[in-house]
Amino acid sequence: MAKRSVWSDNRFWQRSAAWVTGFASILLIWLTFDTSAQISMGTDADLQNGVTKRVPAPTVINYKITYEMDTTRGHEVPVIGEKEMFFGRDDWSEEEAAELLHLGKLGSQAKNCMNCHTLLGNGAYYAPDLTKAWLDPAWGPEGSLQSMTGKNTKEEAMAEFLQHPSQYPTHARMMPDLGITADEAQGLVAFLKHMSSIDTNGFPRNFGKIKGAVHGK
Amino acid sequence: MFEPFVDVVPSFFGWLNQGPLTLTIFLHTVIILPMFWIYKQEKARIEREG
Amino acid sequence: MASNHLTGVGSESKQLATWYFTFAAIIFGAQLVFGVVAAIQYVMPGFLFEIVDFSVARMIHINALVVWMVFAMFGAVYWLLPDETGIETVGIKIGKLLFWVFAAAIVVVVLVYLLVQVGPATESTIWLIHEGREYIEAPRWADFGIVVVALGFVFNLFATGMKGKQTGIITVLMADMLAFAGLYLAGMFFTDNISVDQFWWWWVIHLWVEATWEVYVGSLAAYGLITMIGAHRKTVEMWLWIEVAMLFGSGILGLGHHYFWIGTPEYWWEIGALFSALEPLPLVAMFIHVLYDWGKTQGAETEKGNPASVIKNKPAFTWFVLNAFGNFLGAGIWGFFHTLPQVNLYTHGTQFTSAHGHLAFFGAYATILIGMMYLAVQGTNGIKVLKSTKSSLAATWMITGGVMGMGIALTIAGYVQVLVSRAQMGATWAGYFDGQSGMWFSQAMDWRLFMGVITLIGFVFLAKDLLSIGKATHHER
Repeated sequence: MAKRSVWSDNRFWQRSAAWVTGFASILLIWLTFDTSAQISMGTDADLQNGVTKRVPAPTVINYKITYEMDTTRGHEVPVIGEKEMFFGRDDWSEEEAAELLHLGKLGSQAKNCMNCHTLLGNGAYYAPDLTKAWLDPAWGPEGSLQSMTGKNTKEEAMAEFLQHPSQYPTHARMMPDLGITADEAQGLVAFLKHMSSIDTNGFPRNFGKIKGAVHGK
Repeated sequence: MFEPFVDVVPSFFGWLNQGPLTLTIFLHTVIILPMFWIYKQEKARIEREG
Repeated sequence: MASNHLTGVGSESKQLATWYFTFAAIIFGAQLVFGVVAAIQYVMPGFLFEIVDFSVARMIHINALVVWMVFAMFGAVYWLLPDETGIETVGIKIGKLLFWVFAAAIVVVVLVYLLVQVGPATESTIWLIHEGREYIEAPRWADFGIVVVALGFVFNLFATGMKGKQTGIITVLMADMLAFAGLYLAGMFFTDNISVDQFWWWWVIHLWVEATWEVYVGSLAAYGLITMIGAHRKTVEMWLWIEVAMLFGSGILGLGHHYFWIGTPEYWWEIGALFSALEPLPLVAMFIHVLYDWGKTQGAETEKGNPASVIKNKPAFTWFVLNAFGNFLGAGIWGFFHTLPQVNLYTHGTQFTSAHGHLAFFGAYATILIGMMYLAVQGTNGIKVLKSTKSSLAATWMITGGVMGMGIALTIAGYVQVLVSRAQMGATWAGYFDGQSGMWFSQAMDWRLFMGVITLIGFVFLAKDLLSIGKATHHER
């Protein structure tokens, strides 16, 4: 009688399955520790000393953020520049900024942003991606969205829009009024500004960089 | 083949990720290799059981 | 105990399974209704504006999806436990009590979604209304309820598995369901850091649908092959172990394909790309395995002079085969389309993901769970060979065709977004709406709505069939 092959033996596959599953799980846990350390929020001292963090401190709202091509990494990265006014101040303390971000992040969940928009590319596809919304030229000084609200700064324009979205339709598909208060709107804008400073490995590509591609823009 | 290390934060896994496929080939090898040992053990068992 | 395979008469565990299936089917209907509402809103943005907004309709659409599948999954386990272990499920009274707790909690959660919709930016909104995190929006109070119910379910499974006969299928299910329940804990906290938030959020979503749920489906398929066509347990269980090795081997680290762009380190590009690129392999294997066992069993019977079909339940087996193929097509092919970072940089966050989501959830999970519902109909009615009716066929064709049509329409819409909004316009607000206004995009959305309605009509046939097929007279009793 020919010898039974190991390849058709249940025990061999059972042990292999146990090994592969166990080892992959251990690797994932190890990777999780490594990644968790890398994506923990930075501190205000990091920002002042120019230490690059993948997720900067909430006080990043005191600084100008741009999205620039990094030739060594081969894609765009958020660059934290000089001080910049945010709702009339550039001296938000660590506690104040953290509180504002907390309010904004809570607001983003309470208002269910993610079931129309995408955040970091995740969510629903019914409305624009918000990952780098803070850097969208349309909200900038010459942008159509800023002039639409009649405000003079990006943050005030965004806050105004969030409080009365259906007054400022940008498309047949409108954002509904979600009862966002002035405080909540300020928090949400801080949340958006902070999110735009997260190093997303170059996503989205070419954000806000393309002019003249379609309709002569 | 080997590219300069440009990760924002250096780490063990980042260091293994030296060029195309290096990290994943390493991890797959580590996962597959012990299966040879399991194979040998099971082969011996089947022979013992006749 | 083999004789008990196709009959559920007198088993409390199987009775509980039918409760789970019934509630699952109702929630499935709700999922489709709110899906159609959301699809209408793409075509007519004013539809129910500021009454049931897209965010609300979509939240109910995807939450109902998760809930009906979890209900049907629990039900399927209660259905197969007595067959596999040879004994009545241990702690069935607790199981029945927890069913009512679970069902009541879900009804309250959905009513709050629908009637309260949003709250102020406070912790109490997260605790009482919803958490605003895609797929796991359930408020925190419900999270704790779900954990208690899941623990009770896992206890039933473990106690029964350890007391009765512990087959390979039961062993896999025990390990898998423990991980399935445990992973939910990773989604139960709040953080201000959205990168950390999404990191753990994917632990729940990915490790459910691309690891533990897939292994669960492998176990169900194994059970189905043994009960419906009389495949050999040894062969089926060997395949099951191979599938576990391949599914977990690729799926666990395949989690990395969600970590390309959320602030996580660069090495995930490579881990995510290459491990998830292997994820379709076990799905091919599962498809081949189902067809191979079918052909082998039928061939052996024909050889013995029994040319009659070996299939004991036609509609259920149809759905099982659709599962084997749909899993490969929707999860495997459509998943692989956009799993490499070079591609995903442009497809991430577009209708491409939505196309994959529809085809994969349907192909990998809805199909086999509908199949289990037909098995339960057969068992509770004591039918030896259950044959299809006109409604079974109408439901199969309309639901499968409808979802396939939605998948194709959404894929085309995804292409428009990738090319116009992303590649050409750089993903801004203006770029987004340029893509949305394109002719290909808007026509794709019309087709998606049409196909969604077809799916819903198919569901009506399915519901009618599940309620009436047991009484039909053309079965072998």
